[in-house]
Amino acid sequence: MSQLARYSPVLSALQGVREAIPLLGGYIPVSLSFGLIATQAGFSTWEAVVISTLIYAGASQFLFVGMVAAGSPLWLVVAMTMLINVRHVVYGPNLAALLPRSRHWPWLMHGLTDQVFALALTRLPQLPDAKRFSWFVGASLLAWGAWIIGTAVGATAGEAFTARWPLLGEIMPFALPALFLTMVAPRFTDKRWAMAMGLTILAALGLTLVGWSNVAIPLAAACGALCFYTVRFDNRRRDS
Amino acid sequence: MSTALWLAVVVSAFGTLLMRVVPFMWMQRRLDSDTGMNAMPQWLGILGPLMIAAVLGVSVVPVNPGLISWIATVIGLGVTLLVWRRLRSLGWPVAAGVSVFGLVEIVAALVG
Repeated sequence: MSQLARYSPVLSALQGVREAIPLLGGYIPVSLSFGLIATQAGFSTWEAVVISTLIYAGASQFLFVGMVAAGSPLWLVVAMTMLINVRHVVYGPNLAALLPRSRHWPWLMHGLTDQVFALALTRLPQLPDAKRFSWFVGASLLAWGAWIIGTAVGATAGEAFTARWPLLGEIMPFALPALFLTMVAPRFTDKRWAMAMGLTILAALGLTLVGWSNVAIPLAAACGALCFYTVRFDNRRRDS
Repeated sequence: MSTALWLAVVVSAFGTLLMRVVPFMWMQRRLDSDTGMNAMPQWLGILGPLMIAAVLGVSVVPVNPGLISWIATVIGLGVTLLVWRRLRSLGWPVAAGVSVFGLVEIVAALVG
């Protein structure tokens, strides 16, 4: 029996859905907040939902509605939104060898967020080739759907929701660092990778704490890459 | 929303989509080409895992940073790591970490 016949696309997509569930811990609270903030900034519920559906990039959406509410010129709003999202250009090439060729990628890549990228880069190499396309579709559609629904709920009932369960909005987002920790942990067996990754994590943490969260991901990754290329460990002593 | 604002949404959305699609398609074409350009540049392969580490660094900051939430974060990450070392999977370590993080936050809220 061929490999394709053995793997059902539906089951592979459901596996992607199941494995993307931890992402919702971060997506739901943040999309609720976005819906709430967008309506407070003067956008209607369906306008907020359209922004989440089309732009679908957390930090830049907050910036977009914030700048519009502040009366910034629209060309500047667009330029800043693009600038924040420019980090996405390195995600696709990293997944290119892991995913099969398909004419659907031009629209499916809309689902390539920071979190979906991290999950896909970790899981795809462990999956058989025949499962990967459906797995990506399942995982990315769940994340996109949750983001849109979360925005709609936040825009219509965000205030009541956060007032009723204030701790939930603090606890659920912890799913993201927990998930990413399980993704980076395997690299810590190698000294060179451990040092580069440790520096990247600390740099991103530091930049976020000083309020530079919008540029923290590319800057911290660049620091880590610099460390990876400049610091080399001598293995000769072990061999002798 | 005004027409100009709708246009700004569409341009931002289309620009973001291009940043996601074009590099992906470019790399798939490069991998398929017969001109010897079929290997992914080494720096891209290094940048990928480092981007995940950076996303971890950004997301590790609690929603409301304070002594309790930082303690809960450290304990939660510790439990996540311990469960991961035993099971080497993604789901259970995350569930355990979130449960313990939530427990610390709830206990602290009840005590305080």
